Amino acid sequence: MRRIRKIKVDHNSEFELDLAPLLAVMVKLVPVLLVSSAFVQMMVIETELPQVVNEAIQRQDQQQTPTNVALEVDGKDGIRIVITEKGQEKVETIPLRDGAFDYPGLHQKLIAVKKAHPEVFKIELNPDGKVPYNEIVKIMDEARQAHDTNVKFPVFDTKQGKNVETNYMFPEIIFANMMEG
Amino acid sequence: MSRRQRYEPNIKKNSTFTLNITSMTDMFTIMLVFLLQTYSTSEVQIVPDSNLRLPTSASMANPTEAVKISLSSEALKIDQTKIADVKNADFLPQDLEDKDANFIKPLFEELDKLAKSSSDKAHIKEGRILLQADKELPYATLRKVMYTASMAGFPQLKLVTMVGE
Repeated sequence: MRRIRKIKVDHNSEFELDLAPLLAVMVKLVPVLLVSSAFVQMMVIETELPQVVNEAIQRQDQQQTPTNVALEVDGKDGIRIVITEKGQEKVETIPLRDGAFDYPGLHQKLIAVKKAHPEVFKIELNPDGKVPYNEIVKIMDEARQAHDTNVKFPVFDTKQGKNVETNYMFPEIIFANMMEG
Repeated sequence: MSRRQRYEPNIKKNSTFTLNITSMTDMFTIMLVFLLQTYSTSEVQIVPDSNLRLPTSASMANPTEAVKISLSSEALKIDQTKIADVKNADFLPQDLEDKDANFIKPLFEELDKLAKSSSDKAHIKEGRILLQADKELPYATLRKVMYTASMAGFPQLKLVTMVGE
């Protein structure tokens, strides 16, 4: 009778995975990524907008006497919101709080302005010459978008023929006093 | 003869030994994931100036190709080339036009040269500018740069900001 050869299988044996090729790949990948990675993320404050908002801005430009929202920023008095509607001017002042600009107050006022005039996307910024750049960027942040994601503003989309909601408030910011002396 | 046998350690010469690299592979995997996360996806590389502190903003728009102007508290630069000096957060009187105090002559000349020499490039034709400015500078100084840029035919200004806070 032929004897059946028994294959010895040791179920408790440990085997080692050859990690050397994997390590070789990683050693090459890590320097490549180290060189090309950006540790400081930089973004821009842009003028490009979503399609719907862009079209609404174009429609607004076609109107004869559009509603105009302007922000006057002064280091002494604070921020003044000037709304010009049909030739009439309405001024709201946000005074300084503890010597600094009151950003939450400005944001709440701007949301109220946007709710009253949902068709306006353009905002004019008239900062005083002494206002630091940092403060201007912060004011632009407050004006661009509603921080609260539940706050939405209706925008009429001509392509779909219905109202679309957005949380953009005044994404188009213009430095209106740039040309003044 | 001593009965005691000399102890001979069991060392095989010419044998290869295996290094335990499991822990090292562990470390590299973590590093790889971290680096992949910070890998910049934007198409434009912005080189930050050493003595320039950018303001932080909540804006999440990626930069696009444009003429890069940087304004620190020491100098005004286009693409790392110094154009004009800045002292006490303002430009020197000789760089400004006599009649128009907002007009920076060297910047206008440089932008004009750019517009004429490479007008085939889309970002120059559209007049896009990426402005990196120090956050402590007053608006009056920035306005001079904006004013000159718009006079030179670069009206699309984009402000570079940092993500954070």
